[in-house]
Amino acid sequence: MSLIFRRLARNNPRNIVTDAQILIISSRKLSLVPSLYDGDQDPAPKFFSSNVQILLKRLTRPDFNKVFRKRTNHGFSVLKTPSYKFLTNEELEEEIAKANEKADRLLQMPPVVKIQQHIEDVLSNDPALIGYDTAKYIFTDITFGVANEHRIIIERDPDGTLRSCDHDVRKRLNQAYFPLNGRKLREPLMFADIEKLNSLLDREKYEFVLDRACVQYEPDEPSYQRVTSITYQHVDSKSKYELLRSTRHFGPMTFYLTWHKSMDNLMLELIQGGAVREAVLLSALRQDIHGDVANGDVARTLAQQILPTPVQLTKPETLTEEDIQLDSKCVECIEKYITGTSSMKSQQELALQGFREYYQQLIDLSRGLKKAHGKQ
Amino acid sequence: MSLPPASGTGRYFARAAKSIRLIRQGCTNRPFFHISVTHRRRLNSQPVIEQLGSYDPMPNINNEKLVALNLERIKYWLGQGAHVTNPVAELLGLSGFFPIHPRSYMTAWRNRRTERENLAKLEEQKAKEATTAS
Amino acid sequence: MSTKILTLCNIISRPVNVLLKQNNVTPNLKTNFSTTSVSCISFFNKLPAEKLWKSVTSVSNAGAKKGRGRGTGRIRIRDLNRGQVIGVGKINMLWPGLSAPVIRGRELLKQQRLPDDQERLEKLTKIRDSMTKFRRIRLNPIERGWSGSKLPGRSLGPPDPIGEDEFTGFDTKVLQLRSLLIMKGSLGRTRNFQAMVVTGNGQGLAGFGLGRAKEAPAALRKAKNRAGQKLMHFEIYNGHTIYHDFFTAFGKTKIFVQKKNEGYGLMCHRAIKEICQAIGIKDLRAKVEGSNNLQHIVKAFFIGLLQQRTHQQLAEEKKLHLVEYKDENENFPKVVASPSEVRTKDQIQKNETLDFTQYVMKDKVILKKRKFPRFYETMPHYKVYLKKYEKYRNHEKIRLNLKTEYGEVKSFLTDKYPEKAEQEA
Repeated sequence: MSLIFRRLARNNPRNIVTDAQILIISSRKLSLVPSLYDGDQDPAPKFFSSNVQILLKRLTRPDFNKVFRKRTNHGFSVLKTPSYKFLTNEELEEEIAKANEKADRLLQMPPVVKIQQHIEDVLSNDPALIGYDTAKYIFTDITFGVANEHRIIIERDPDGTLRSCDHDVRKRLNQAYFPLNGRKLREPLMFADIEKLNSLLDREKYEFVLDRACVQYEPDEPSYQRVTSITYQHVDSKSKYELLRSTRHFGPMTFYLTWHKSMDNLMLELIQGGAVREAVLLSALRQDIHGDVANGDVARTLAQQILPTPVQLTKPETLTEEDIQLDSKCVECIEKYITGTSSMKSQQELALQGFREYYQQLIDLSRGLKKAHGKQ
Repeated sequence: MSLPPASGTGRYFARAAKSIRLIRQGCTNRPFFHISVTHRRRLNSQPVIEQLGSYDPMPNINNEKLVALNLERIKYWLGQGAHVTNPVAELLGLSGFFPIHPRSYMTAWRNRRTERENLAKLEEQKAKEATTAS
Repeated sequence: MSTKILTLCNIISRPVNVLLKQNNVTPNLKTNFSTTSVSCISFFNKLPAEKLWKSVTSVSNAGAKKGRGRGTGRIRIRDLNRGQVIGVGKINMLWPGLSAPVIRGRELLKQQRLPDDQERLEKLTKIRDSMTKFRRIRLNPIERGWSGSKLPGRSLGPPDPIGEDEFTGFDTKVLQLRSLLIMKGSLGRTRNFQAMVVTGNGQGLAGFGLGRAKEAPAALRKAKNRAGQKLMHFEIYNGHTIYHDFFTAFGKTKIFVQKKNEGYGLMCHRAIKEICQAIGIKDLRAKVEGSNNLQHIVKAFFIGLLQQRTHQQLAEEKKLHLVEYKDENENFPKVVASPSEVRTKDQIQKNETLDFTQYVMKDKVILKKRKFPRFYETMPHYKVYLKKYEKYRNHEKIRLNLKTEYGEVKSFLTDKYPEKAEQEA
């Protein structure tokens, strides 16, 4: 289906006018334009609201096999001998609860916040000090137990002005006196050199890039938002969402795409993958953020029904009646979304039609099985 | 083998006079100072009571001189009646923690004066050259 | 020709000219080769070689009892005529029928003098001396065993096929080869060889065998074939290690075996290492305590491996879930085996061993020796060195950083303040 679309797009790209498609076409040439959260609206309140957080976490589709996978860049160079324990049922449940907490920690999403403002804060001005020195003096308060963002870092300029330092200087001095593990004092080449970044993206090392960006930058830095936005767009253009699923970066990516109203490719991937429930969650997310979905309230109420159900890591093989009911509601909801707000109508409709056919077969199969077992 | 801790390893006498001073560390041609509190009558080579900060007098690549101050501990030692030597007082004055030290004003004024004089000399020379050339 | 045959049969080992005289062989010579009887008879040409050699090598009865004439410094009888051929001598002559064929092709060869071979004498001495010097057999480093060209540790290849069943993929390693002396009523003291080998395919099948024979190769062959008939199958955990730690003993030999992570390697007795390689175990640590008898070690280790229990068996024994924690997986509790029926906390007795390691080791504890500081660490100069090194501790890192940044060791101040030599230049 996407093949048909691509062929179409290649033949006459001008006929297709919607924004998202133009974005896709342009990004195929990999001329990605970074877009920062620098508008009037602050994304932080939306991002941190409990509704959105829950939706994003659910959309991440956490698979514990991937969350607790063997990590090579984990700080230990040599593997350790595994340990074993004999556990009773209750102890095992406790351990699993602990593991869930740990998974939450591992999947904690990097915050999405507005870009930082310059610090312009003159503390005093003493023209009598002009000529004292040609260099700046930078004073750092290294009092124990102060957080990096609250540390007093001020500078005395050669013209005698005493002012608070700007963010870049603050970051540099914080790193000099209180180094963070993994953060480099000067920008790593993979971020500074766009060629190197592009080559990493072409090799689909998305998670590596995003992890390193998290270590190197603060979330409100322009460089961070530049790197992450380029990476998200790259993932979106290649439809390689699967690489970021079960990682902490999937949430911010979904938020980014939804914030810029370009999540229709993701929606298409969800429908094609048969994850209609997640597609509903995505439309509910859009409703939460923008409030412009055709039947947004329906999607919201449906999302409340979907959230208590277990995460579907694979396509289900048999269905219960409740599943069938819920899924058919979801399909209706998505249909309305497609007709109302979607910017990739034709493909999404085709995908939904394919899903319907597949689902009808599944329903017949599971009902037939039930009959054969004699339960109905 | 690690460096002595910033809490200091020197012997401490409660009633002896203390001073907060710069102690030169670093090596030949590369000065670097620790701001430390120690007994007033103790040599700079002897262990200090506590390190309170550092001062790098050589400008870095961005033309900045870096000073680190543990203000909390400095306040504590000032409260204990520690004496502050002139260079440290100057740094604290520049940081806005103390009033600006008179010597800083003097240095600034003298630097400005030499600058003016140099400029005047240059102009004189130029004028001379102009007259000789014409 | 007759003389040639005689030398070959090693009947005569006297100088040729003496022989010539005795046998009255008068070759048709025109040169100045003397045919007259030797006028000077000395000690060396009066006696036959055997007697001369005996006078050198013989040891008196009393001396032999003391052990003289054995071991190092022992004189051996050697053939001093080695390499010499009848018809070839100092003067390089061509003797048709003796040192060359009479007819070569269609040509009748004639007796003639050839150009002299200058290096003949050197070659002869070299051949003669090569006998006496002890020569070590040189082996390819891959073929070497535990120690040089000694057999233990060397590979013997797969056991001989039985009927049509071939041992494909198998390899045999010698663990022990020793000579045993047995007293027999009629023969006195006789020497037997005993060999212990292990054979395996590296995929879980392995066996060991013991063979005795009069000769070493026969003993090895016997042991190898016996090992091939006594194969055992061992489960390998994740294709690299054993299922759990265990303690095993045979006689006075005690072995503590520990399961290890991937990439750890085989840290154990060399015989255990060979066994593990034959089975296909890649990571394990084993500590041998008590007797170091090799056969006991091998037997104890095999017994220990056979007595291993799978995770499912362990869980069933304890009636508890068996959970695995791996550090690289953030210690995620992975249930490797669950019993059919799980006990509750009240059903667990107070004095029961719940610790997994302790349980599988049967409450045995490995002796951990105290680690002493290295000999130099207690010396005063080491402290001095550490103090001096403090100054240079980060220099390597700084150099590396500068090199990555500027391509050489220089800083931003180098351009501002160049070296004096550069300034002058």
